[in-house]
Amino acid sequence: MEQKPIAIIGAGIAGLTAANYLHQKNVPFVLYEAGKKIAGLASSFKDDEGFSYDFGAHFVTNRLAAMLGVSGDCKPVKHYSETVLLGGKTYAYPFGLMKIPRMTLSGIKSRLSGNGEEKTAQNWFRSRYGKALADEVALPLIEAWSGAKAENLSSSVGESLPGSIAKTIYLKLASKVLKRAVCIGYSRELPESPNVWHVYPNEGVHTLCDKLAENIKDKIKLNSPIEEILVENDKVVAVRSKGVTQAVSAVISTAPAPILAKITKGTNKLEKIKQFKYRPMTFVNMRFEGRGLLPDVVLWLPEGKFPFFRLTEATLSMPWLAPEGKTMITVDIGCEKEDEIWTMDNEKLGEFCLEHLAKIIPNAKEKYLGCHTLRTPISYPVFLKEYESERLEFEKGTGIENLLSVGRNGEFAHIFMEDVYWRTLQKTRELVKLLS
Amino acid sequence: MENNEFSAYIYNVKQAVKLQASAKKNSLELVSTDCCVCCSDDANVVGIGEDFEYRTSNDVFAAMQCKTCGLVYLNPRPSIAEFERIYPPTYHAFDFSEEEFGFVHKVRSRLEANRLLVLCKKLGDDAKILDVGCGDGFHLRLLRDFGNKNWTLEGLDASEKAVEAANKSGIKVHLGTAENNDLPENTYDLAFLIQTIEHIEKPNEVLPAICRVLKPNGKLVIVTDNTDSLDFKLFKNGYWGGYHFPRHWNLFNRNALTTLAEKSGFKIEKIETVVSPVNWVYSIHNALVDTNAPQFLINQFTLKSTISLGIFTVLDIILQKLGRGALLRATLKKA
Repeated sequence: MEQKPIAIIGAGIAGLTAANYLHQKNVPFVLYEAGKKIAGLASSFKDDEGFSYDFGAHFVTNRLAAMLGVSGDCKPVKHYSETVLLGGKTYAYPFGLMKIPRMTLSGIKSRLSGNGEEKTAQNWFRSRYGKALADEVALPLIEAWSGAKAENLSSSVGESLPGSIAKTIYLKLASKVLKRAVCIGYSRELPESPNVWHVYPNEGVHTLCDKLAENIKDKIKLNSPIEEILVENDKVVAVRSKGVTQAVSAVISTAPAPILAKITKGTNKLEKIKQFKYRPMTFVNMRFEGRGLLPDVVLWLPEGKFPFFRLTEATLSMPWLAPEGKTMITVDIGCEKEDEIWTMDNEKLGEFCLEHLAKIIPNAKEKYLGCHTLRTPISYPVFLKEYESERLEFEKGTGIENLLSVGRNGEFAHIFMEDVYWRTLQKTRELVKLLS
Repeated sequence: MENNEFSAYIYNVKQAVKLQASAKKNSLELVSTDCCVCCSDDANVVGIGEDFEYRTSNDVFAAMQCKTCGLVYLNPRPSIAEFERIYPPTYHAFDFSEEEFGFVHKVRSRLEANRLLVLCKKLGDDAKILDVGCGDGFHLRLLRDFGNKNWTLEGLDASEKAVEAANKSGIKVHLGTAENNDLPENTYDLAFLIQTIEHIEKPNEVLPAICRVLKPNGKLVIVTDNTDSLDFKLFKNGYWGGYHFPRHWNLFNRNALTTLAEKSGFKIEKIETVVSPVNWVYSIHNALVDTNAPQFLINQFTLKSTISLGIFTVLDIILQKLGRGALLRATLKKA
C-alpha cells in the first residue's frame, strides 16, 4: 500500500523547511500554498529605482545561511544598533540609557529588592529593568507594539528579550572588533556567539526560500488554499483544497494559529485557540534623498508623541537596500483593522507620516520622494493574560498527534527566522519518527 | 596535518574536474548529510566558520554535533564536484617536504618514527603492515628506515601520482580505496589510518573494509583530531583548527570512535590521546585571520613557525598527561 502523503500548508520558510526535510527523508508530501508564489513572510522585491522592500525579516543569521547552503551568496551586515528618543535626546539602546541617573538608580533598586510577582508584563519589566526604564521606555513600546495595556499582557512578553547584561556587552564588543553585526537576541534555539552575525542574501531574503524549494518544485501546489483539515478520532485524516479531498498521514500547518483552528473540523481541541489575537500593523516605507537621516538604524519612540513607535533606516545597516545617495525609512504604526490608518491611502499616509517625521528629521519634507505601504493584519502575536494558560498549552502542541502548527504565525510566537528553521526541523523530525 | 591525507581524494578530484559546471557561483555546491556513526540527523550546530586557511570560497560552514554519539560533522558539506576548489594546488599536504619545512620536518619525522615503532612493538619478523591513505609513503618510509628490516610494508592510496611517487622511493603502494581495491582478505597484521578518517565521506564503510583485509586478531591504529580536548572546548564556536573548514568532515571523541569501531567489526584495545600542537596553532591563526590581525602576527601561527609549535607542544604534553591531548589514537583489534 502506498503511504499517504503529509500535507504541508504554506510555502514560507517554515513550510519549505519541513518540505525539504521530508524530501531528504523520502517521506511523501504535498505542499499547499494559498498564494501565487512561495516565500510568505520572507518575500522581498526591488523596485525600478533600486529600492528593496522586505516584507518580514530584513536580515538572517550567517548560521541559517550556512545551513541552507547560500552563505557564499550573502553579504555581511557590518553594523546594527538601536537608539531611543527621550526628551528630545537620543540614547543608545540599551546601555546609553544608563546615562540617565534615574534609570540607573531605579534599575539597581529593582535588582536589589528582588523580584516580586511577575504575572503581567508590567511587573516583569518593572522588576527587571526598574520602574523608570520600564515605565518610560519598555512598557510604552510594548503597548504601542501590541495594542494592549501592559497590565493585560502576560509576563512571557519579556522573555523574548536577550539574555544577560554581561553577554550582551561581550557580544556588542565583539561586534565592534570584528566590524560586523553580531546577532544579539536573535536566536533562542542555539547559543549566540561572536561567530554568528547578520547577513543579507545578495538577491534578497527570499533566496533562502528559493534554495529550500530548489528540489521540490513538483510538490508545491500554488494558488491552493486549504479549506478544511478533517479530523477523526483525534487524528487528522484528510485535507480539502479547491473542493478536492486528499487523504493524508499528517498535516504540518504554518497558517496563523486561529485560522488553523477555524479550518480544522471534527475536533474541539483547537477551540480555545480561536481567541488568540495578532496585532495589525501598517509599515510605511518612505523614500528620501540623502542618508543617515536617523541617528542609528532603529529609533524607538516611547513617549507617545507620535502615531508611530519605531523608525528604521535599514540602509545604515545595509547600504544596498537603496540607490546611492538615497535612503528609506520604515515607519511602524500599530493599528486596528479598518481604523483610520488601516484605510488611509498610500499618498495620504505618506503625507501624514511626513508631518510627524519633520519634527525629528530636519528638512524631511524637501527630501521626501514618496512611499510604499505594506499592511498585515497578523504582524505580531499579542500575549494577552486572559488566554495565557491556553497559549502555554498550545506551546506544547495542537493536542492532535499528527497535526503540527509551525512557523512564526503557526506557533503564535515572536520568533525569528533561524529559530523558525530549527524548531520546524525538530518538530518535523519528531513527526516522521512518530509516523514510521 | 599529514601529507598523505589528501591523496585518497585525488580520484574524487578527477571526477570533480569532469563534473564541474562551467558557470561559477560564489557558494559551493553543498549537500546535507546525517551522522555517519548512528545515522541520526538530530544534531546541534557547535561551530560556525570559514575556510580561514585557504579562502577557497566565501561560504560559511556549520559543524554539527550529533546528540546521540557526539560525532562532530560538517553539514552541509561540499559535493564531490567541488573537490578541486576546496583542495587548491597550494594545499600544504602536497608538499610537506624537508626543503619546504626544514627543522619542523626533521623533528616531526623523528617523533613520528618513535610513535609508529611503539605501535609495532609486538609484531614478529614476518609481519605485514598496511598504511591506508598512505600518500607518498611518508609513514612507511619511516618504518622502513627505523623499523624491522624483515617487515612487509605496503600502502594503499587512490592517487596515481602518490602511488607512483611512493613506488619510485621503493615502497609498495596499491592503487585503490579502502572500499574498492584488490587486496586479499585476512592478510595484514597491522593497518594504519593516520589523520585520514576526518577527511573521509563515509568512515562507516571504510572501517569494515579495512577490517576485512586484516588477519584474525589483526590491528588497526587510527589517529585523528580529538574533540574531547581543551583546544576544541576553547575554540569550538568557530576558530578550532581541527575543523579545517571545509575539509574535515567527521571529527571524533572517544565515544563516537568507539561506537563506530564496534559497529565495524572491531574490539577496542586502547584509546588514548596523543600530543599535537597543530590544532592549537591553527585555532589562534584562524582567530587572528578573522579579526584582521597584521600578517606578521598571523605568520607566527602556521606549520612553519617553530616557536609557537614548540610552546603548544609543551602545553599539550601537560594536557596529554591528563588524558586530554589534541589527537586521539585508537588501537582496534579485529573481533
